[in-house]
Amino acid sequence: MTRERAFLLGAAVLIAVCAVVPLASWAEASQQRPLSRLSNSGRTVAPAQNAFARRAAVHHVSLLALRGGRAYYKVDANGTCFGAGPAADVGQLGSVDCPRGPFPTADRPVLDFSVYEVTDRGSRDFSLFRAEGFAADGVSAVAFLRPNGKVAFTVPVHANVFATTSVPRGLIKGLAALDGSGKEVWRSP
Amino acid sequence: MTRIALLIALAGVAACVALAQPSKASAGWCWPDCSNYGTLNWNTTTYNGCWYRSGAVCSGWAYWSLNGVSKTCYPGCDAYGNTSGQILYGFENGDRIRGRFTVRSGRFYISPGEVGMGGYLRAQVTWYAGTSQVNVAAIG
Repeated sequence: MTRERAFLLGAAVLIAVCAVVPLASWAEASQQRPLSRLSNSGRTVAPAQNAFARRAAVHHVSLLALRGGRAYYKVDANGTCFGAGPAADVGQLGSVDCPRGPFPTADRPVLDFSVYEVTDRGSRDFSLFRAEGFAADGVSAVAFLRPNGKVAFTVPVHANVFATTSVPRGLIKGLAALDGSGKEVWRSP
Repeated sequence: MTRIALLIALAGVAACVALAQPSKASAGWCWPDCSNYGTLNWNTTTYNGCWYRSGAVCSGWAYWSLNGVSKTCYPGCDAYGNTSGQILYGFENGDRIRGRFTVRSGRFYISPGEVGMGGYLRAQVTWYAGTSQVNVAAIG
């Protein structure tokens, strides 16, 4: 092989690698992107000026959804936060979560706002009181799991919010995010 | 003269009683105090009759309106702010304990109405896994 041919072959391999690697990365990123995006920006509402809003340093509130007597918000409180409260009094925040770090991400596409309860002092096993939370664009439903890993029930996600007060009795141990085809894309723990 | 002295004494007693009553709006509880963080793990206790004897911190009984938790990255966070420490924060009474779970560092605020509870309660943070460094503050 002449020096010119070797050079041309090397250049061809380099060009092929340059073309394939970004394509592969792009394909992977395309799959991940829906899990790290929250398209629902909501509509601005005036936050109730109470001790709660002052303590959480709430600056701006966007109403994302009203579901089953509950209101769900994206909140600016010295960082991106999420909140919830009674739908009968929009702007009245009953809870605010300001997790450090980005949300959503492929690593954590669901922010679980569900309320859990324990009624047996001798145990730390818990059941659901209410299922609700926020999920990335790529999540179509959230499945709540029994201690044996089986699905207890599933809550659909609409406009990045899932919510229901109709929850089955029994212990819950975790949750999973499902995409549009019902495929599990994330699980915790 | 005696009547005036009695009046002054009564006024003094009334003032003392009024000052001794904590204002409902400003009543509060903090753990470990109002300006520091404490480590919450399986054997942490406040020795005041929480739902769980260990692995939990709780306030006294009161008409709480807000429980706020600040959770640091200690002993470590991943790139997304997740820690190895899982906590349940919320409220408890004699029948049940309710709240939300988190493993993330950050600030979390919750009112009794959010967990479907009201009346005379304890604000609580309960350990579920790992180690968490938290400051807890409840206001009434």
